[in-house]
Amino acid sequence: MLNSILGWVDQRFPLTHIVKHELTDYPTPRNLSYWWNFGFLAGVVLVLQLVTGIFLAMYYKPDVNMAFDSVQHIMRDINYGWLLRYIHSTGASAFFVVIYIHMARTLYYASYHKPRELMWWTGQVIMLMIMATAFMGYLLPWGQMSYWGAQVITNLFGVTPFFGSDIVMWLRGDFSVGDATLTRFFALHYLFPFLIFGMVGIHLVALHTVKSSNPSGISLADKDNIPFHPYFTLKDLFGLGVYLIVFCSFVFFLPGMFIEPANNIPANPLVTPSHIEPEWYFLPFYAILRSIPDMLGGVVAMGLSVVIFAILPFADRSTIPGGARYRPVYRLVFLVFIADVFLLGYIGSQPPSGVLVPIGQAATLLYFATFFLLPPTSKLEERWMRSRGLPPALLTLFEQRSPRDKWSNKGGAA
Amino acid sequence: MKRLIIFAFCWLACSAWGEAEVQLNKVEVATDLPTLARGAETVMTVCNGCHSLKYIHFRELAKLGVEKDKVDGWRGSNPMGTAIASQMPADAAAASFGKAPPDLSLMAKAREGEANYIYSYLLGYYTAPDGTTGNHYYPPTKMPDVLAVAGVTDPAQLAELNKKAREVTSFLVWAADPHAQERKSLGLYVLGYLLVFTTMMYFLKGRIWATLEKV
Ligand code: HEC
Ligand code: HEM
Repeated sequence: MLNSILGWVDQRFPLTHIVKHELTDYPTPRNLSYWWNFGFLAGVVLVLQLVTGIFLAMYYKPDVNMAFDSVQHIMRDINYGWLLRYIHSTGASAFFVVIYIHMARTLYYASYHKPRELMWWTGQVIMLMIMATAFMGYLLPWGQMSYWGAQVITNLFGVTPFFGSDIVMWLRGDFSVGDATLTRFFALHYLFPFLIFGMVGIHLVALHTVKSSNPSGISLADKDNIPFHPYFTLKDLFGLGVYLIVFCSFVFFLPGMFIEPANNIPANPLVTPSHIEPEWYFLPFYAILRSIPDMLGGVVAMGLSVVIFAILPFADRSTIPGGARYRPVYRLVFLVFIADVFLLGYIGSQPPSGVLVPIGQAATLLYFATFFLLPPTSKLEERWMRSRGLPPALLTLFEQRSPRDKWSNKGGAA
Repeated sequence: MKRLIIFAFCWLACSAWGEAEVQLNKVEVATDLPTLARGAETVMTVCNGCHSLKYIHFRELAKLGVEKDKVDGWRGSNPMGTAIASQMPADAAAASFGKAPPDLSLMAKAREGEANYIYSYLLGYYTAPDGTTGNHYYPPTKMPDVLAVAGVTDPAQLAELNKKAREVTSFLVWAADPHAQERKSLGLYVLGYLLVFTTMMYFLKGRIWATLEKV
């Protein structure tokens, strides 16, 4: 019965072919490490946010007089409303944990190199859209942090030359954050995740065109690729289990960690909280914003710090594959950069005073220097590595490189 | 990886160090119904004179085990499903204290320090040398010393006050998140299930991957 239905469909739509070709038999490098689990996890988190978000939206009221109370109604009176909201509010943080790790993996192995530039750039667009979605979602519960966070961030657009105040008005729909802002943020917060979903589709089509990179950095011979199912379905399910254990520990036992106390006070335009602080996932960028004494300069630096990752396929001029795996200098730069991002995050969470100000400025400088110095350092590093003789592992890899591998000629990293 | 972990640890350590401002007293929050019911009684007889609890209804007090007669006395002619309003209208309170007393139903989650803050704040009143009353944790507060803490030195009386403040705090913690107990017990089942699932997947993955020939 099932087979005949499937046969009927297959004559009209390549269902079996797609499932076989793109899923079950999809060739995957057998040496992928657990760092390759995070793309799948990001997809799971997106679906969880979509599902819980749609149910929240059935009870949520985007009106300044009702929003705060409607969230409390969800938390107290709706069956398992507290679970929906805690999954959603914790899920936003989890999303950033997962995609930041996913990006760090890509940075470490320098997998943004040819032929995966488009994967890197579509990923960047997804990240920007997630940031926008999280920022707009954070306004919805209409607490003090929601209100003042939105007020401060929309205000930043005021530095735009000539049109500053018009843009701020346009974003808010009013002179200051208010009912118009709340309704439009709700509409867009509902829309954006679906756009993200579409963008993820493009990301995956690109992936299936260029195939996964792998820790060795070069394309593997056919014998080293194995079908996705059952090997990677099981590996992903195991990873999912570990992820859900961590995630559910927060949802069920520490859900308050991701909701600021100040956000449990209804928004009040007349009372500014003593310390306005964005969510943890924006803190490094926020620290960069504050480290530049000039407002326009700060906003430009912050915007740049988010999008600058896009230059990496050009900025990293090394042809040695495998990123930090084989390149000692690149590995050091990677580790220092990650440490620098943590440092900026800490500085962003503190009031800007005392020694923290110069430290924040130095950290900002280091952040940008990492990108701008990459072209010369990566080139020099390669020359230095080749003059010392490449490590044996790398030489074998170069020799083993399959002649049919159309992407890795000219020594390009794959 | 190791370096990352060490770094994250130092980072957490210095953020914890940075927050050492006013030391709050720690309170051990109770979750048993008799304590919550006693806390509810103090809140309804003392605090409700000025504060509302708009997300809590009289029915929930009865469910906590507060005697029916008492609940009936507080609600008067209002139905059981009525949200608990303050006995003093907000503008009247604002006129007499200079500030409207905030709603208490979410208070336990709306201040830095949460339960410890409420506990410390309620017990933080003292009599200054000039005879005025102050509060260690919220110096400019407009709320009077409602539990009559300032100046008490008798140990038995102090213990009684600590107990009362703990009951009130525990009730407010419950009120801020009435599903917390349900959440934690469901969480144990969920984590138990996930542990079994993950272990199974771990071994299944090992067995399937073992069938791959080695390279
Ligand atoms: C006589 C009126 C009155 C009574 C009774 C009263 N309060 Fe208050 N309360 C106030 C006022 C006024 C404020 C606002 C204080 C301020 O912000 O300066 C307040 C504020 C508070 C705050 C918030 C403090 C902050 O950090 O903003 C808490 C918590 C609180 N009250 C708890 C209680 C509890 C618990 C009781 C019962 C034991 C109680 N109050 C009884 C008048 C009262
Ligand atoms: C990319 C995925 C998403 C992210 C990162 C995200 C993020 C957020 C954040 C940070 C909040 C505030 C949480 C809080 O403090 O309570 C929020 C609230 C909300 N979101 Fe989302 N969201 C996503 C998807 C969705 C979708 C698809 C919908 C609806 C279709 C939705 C509906 C809501 C609603 C109704 C609220 C208000 C209720 C509440 O505050 O809990 N979200 N979201």
